[in-house]
Order: sequence, then structure tokens, then C-alpha cells
Amino acid sequence: MAPRLPGWLLQSPLFLRASHSIIRSNVTTRPFGIRSLNPPNTSRFNVGSDLPVLKSTPTAALERKANTLPPRTGAIAIKKGMTALYDTETGKRIACTVLQLDRVEVISHKTRQQHGYFAVQVGSGWKHPNNLTKSLLGHFSVNGISPKRHIFEFRVRDENGLLPVGQAINADWFQEGQYVDARSNTKGKGFAGVMKRHGFGGQDRSHGVSLTHRSLGSAGPSQGGGSRVYPGKKMAGNMGNEQNTVQNLKILKVDSQNGIVVVNGAVSGPKGCIVRIQDAIKKPWPEIVFPSEPVP
Amino acid sequence: MATFSPILRQLGCLRSIAKPQSLVSSQIARRSLTTVYTPKQEPVPLPSKLPKSFLSQIPPRQQPTNGRKKLKVYPAPPSSRTVCKDPVAAVTESQLTALDPTGERKALFDYRRNPRSVKVGDILRVTFKNGDPFSGVCLSIRLRGIDTTFLLRNELTRVGVEMWVKVFSPNVESVEIVQRTEKRKRRARLYYMRQPRHDMRSVENIVSNYLRQKSALSGQRGQGGRGRGQKRRR
Repeated sequence: MAPRLPGWLLQSPLFLRASHSIIRSNVTTRPFGIRSLNPPNTSRFNVGSDLPVLKSTPTAALERKANTLPPRTGAIAIKKGMTALYDTETGKRIACTVLQLDRVEVISHKTRQQHGYFAVQVGSGWKHPNNLTKSLLGHFSVNGISPKRHIFEFRVRDENGLLPVGQAINADWFQEGQYVDARSNTKGKGFAGVMKRHGFGGQDRSHGVSLTHRSLGSAGPSQGGGSRVYPGKKMAGNMGNEQNTVQNLKILKVDSQNGIVVVNGAVSGPKGCIVRIQDAIKKPWPEIVFPSEPVP
Repeated sequence: MATFSPILRQLGCLRSIAKPQSLVSSQIARRSLTTVYTPKQEPVPLPSKLPKSFLSQIPPRQQPTNGRKKLKVYPAPPSSRTVCKDPVAAVTESQLTALDPTGERKALFDYRRNPRSVKVGDILRVTFKNGDPFSGVCLSIRLRGIDTTFLLRNELTRVGVEMWVKVFSPNVESVEIVQRTEKRKRRARLYYMRQPRHDMRSVENIVSNYLRQKSALSGQRGQGGRGRGQKRRR
């Protein structure tokens, strides 16, 4: 039988300090007596610094996303309408959409450590503080920002893309000739039938068809198919007013004084809708000059 | 008491009326249930200049820091919306000043305001930057700011040809009025001229006549003749 220590020795600070020095990875080994040749496993899982990252971990997910996440934040704009520009070289008319940036500022950050990913929370416009909830008002007040009407967050690749809080994003954040993705809600079409919503063919005008000229045919197979309607069946319902991304829009013109960004082509949504523009993920990233860095 | 007859004894109830009023009321008051109103005690005010160490002893409701905290609301930065109320118009204006600095082109087709402008039914000759000319009858004029266009109709190799021409396109070098319409047309769009009954057919003869006259004038008068030609060339 191993000799036992008297109780007073166990409680003495001298002994405690000695035992702390021997603690190795949560398993205490006694400094005396018979020791095991094969120390017990600290964890029943396979752990170690040299092991590959598991695919279903946040670390692996961020690594996978690294190539498709823009290195810098985007901006919130308001669609003002469409007009045309004439190409100075070819003289061709180019239809374009006019977007305006209004008091866009960085409100706060989302960080890997705290939230699991890197993102910049950006707000635009202004809202009367009486019309804001106290929690939001506190959020603005803590960060030293005026109350904003629209708040969105833009994911960025890493902490280098986190603009300082309070930094204004002007129209010159984008360069003429670069490409952006524009994200906005489409125009709402209300409750639409299958012909309009999903492009179904409808049914015959005649040949005995009565009262079902624009309806869908069958909603599913009969007894052999389970006698049920499969999930995701295309049916009539609300159409439009859902987010749509238009990719690779070229920036034709930038007017930082008036906050105007003119992009090539059309952007989803009615005039006055909120459009989120960020560097196009399918084009090479633009040459970035971070305002925080000293410009040479 | 024995001297009172039973009748008189009954009348004894009238004695209460004969009694002074104050006594009666006091009796009633004595008989009825009453509670004395005692006003609520004034709370003892907290001593001013209470040391901070005692604050923990008073309930949180009475702590001096209790109550709604005043949140600081920061003022909004200057807005670009107030600087530029109509960005679409601003973009169009900047385009127009670049493409049509003198405003001549705009006036030439602004048939609503300018009486000397091109009207539908006029025969026009357009020269493009690559040198190709095109002439025809103007069937319609669309006034849409930077997108202002007009439709020309002509006949080439016995086939009717129409062309929409953008007024402010940098590819359009000049627009000349070859012949004005004799009478003011009573429609804004002369699409009826596509019908065989109203079709003007080819305008090449009129245009070639005009070109011959123009060259003759410029050849005779030199500078002055060209001046007249320039006047129409926009």
C-alpha cells in the first residue's frame, strides 16, 4: 500500500505548489510511487497540433470561403433610376443605373473570435431617434454614430478588411472601371399564378377545358408516387420582393461630391430601393488603398 | 312617571325634537361608524450629500443613479441627398454638357419650345462619324432628355427603310434640314406614312437637289456660301 500523506501536508501551500508544477494536460501525476509507463490519454478524441483541420469546423468553413469573400467592405446605396451614357470611344449608348450613397458609415464589426466570422456592419441614412428602439439607439450611441435608417453587414475575408468604426464610405470607395455585385429586393408582383411565377404553359383555350386555362395541371403523382405533393412543388403564390444579386456590374462613373455611383445595366427593384454593392466576387479584386494605411 | 298617562308617554318621543340641534348631531355622530382621516406620512427625505458608502443601503429605486439613462445621440453628418436631390438629372446634365455644350442640338429637336426646330414631316439628312449619310422623312421625334431620338424613313433599292437616330450620340456628326414640311402635320407620329397610300417613297431626288444647290452656293460665294450651309448644319 502506498504511503499516505498526512492531511496537514496536503493542505500546505508548499505541497500545492509542487503538485502544480507536475500537472501536465489536466492529468496529475504523483511525484512519487509507481508510475505508469503509458500515461493515460487526456482526451478520447484524436487531438494534436499537427492534425489536419476537420471539414465540418468553422476554421475549415472560413478557409473554404476565403477565395470568394471580398477583402473589403461594400456600401449601401439607394437606386435613383436609370439613364444612359455614351461611350467616349465607340460612341455606343450604355444603359446605366444611378445609385446614391447617403451618409454611409461603419457602425461596428463582427469578428471571428466573438461571432465566428469577419464582417463590417454598415449603416446609411438617418432616422429620428424618437422612432428607434432603445436597444438600437444604445448601439449607435456606444459606437458614436448618428442613428441610421438602414443597417446591413458586409462579410470580409479577414481582419484587414475591418474598417475603423465611424469611418465614412463615400462614392470614391469604388473606382471607375471596377466590377461590383448589386444586391437588392426585386419588385413585388403580389400573388401570382403559376404561368407568371414559374412560366408554366397553362392549359388549352378550348378542347373541352373549362375554367382552368391558366392553372397548373397535376400537383403530383398518384398512389405509386406516395399520394402526396412533394415539398418544393411549384405553385401559385407571392412573387417578387425577394433578394436578387446582379453580378459583375461595371462602374461607369463616380461622383463623390454628390455620392453618385453609376453602374452599367439594370439593378433589381423599384426606384428608391436599397441596393448593397460590393466588389464582384467573380472578377479580380480591385487595387485596394485602405484609408487607415498611409498612402505613399 | 306614574302621573303620565299612556298617551302622554307616547308623546315623549317629541322630546328629541325639542332638544338643541348640536346635541342631536353629536349623538348621531357617536352612533355611526366613522374613521378618522389621517394624512399619509410625508416620506423622510434622503439626506443630501449622502456618502457613497451608504448608497448600497438604500433601495435601488431611490438610488440617485436610478431612472432612465440619457443616451447620447450623435448628430448626423452632412447628407449627399441634400446636396444632390436628383442624381439622375445630374448625370444626364453632365452628359448633355459634354455632348452638346452649346445646346444647339437640343434646341434643334425641341419642337415643344422652339418654333424653328425640326418638325415631323421634314426631310432630314444625317451624317455619321464614319462618313455614311442617311436621309429620310422624319416620322416621329421622341423627347427623352439624353435619349432623345428621331425616326427617319426612306426607300433604298425600292425597299422601305427606317432608322432611329439618337440625337446626342457622338456618332452623329451633323443633322441638316433638307426640306421643311409644307403644312404643319396634324399628328405627332406620322406612322400612317408607312401605308402605301401615304408613302412618300424615296427622298433621294430632293436630297440630291439640295446637295447640288448647296455645293453651287458654296462654290460661288466661297466663305459666305459655306456660312449658309453651316447655319443649317448642326
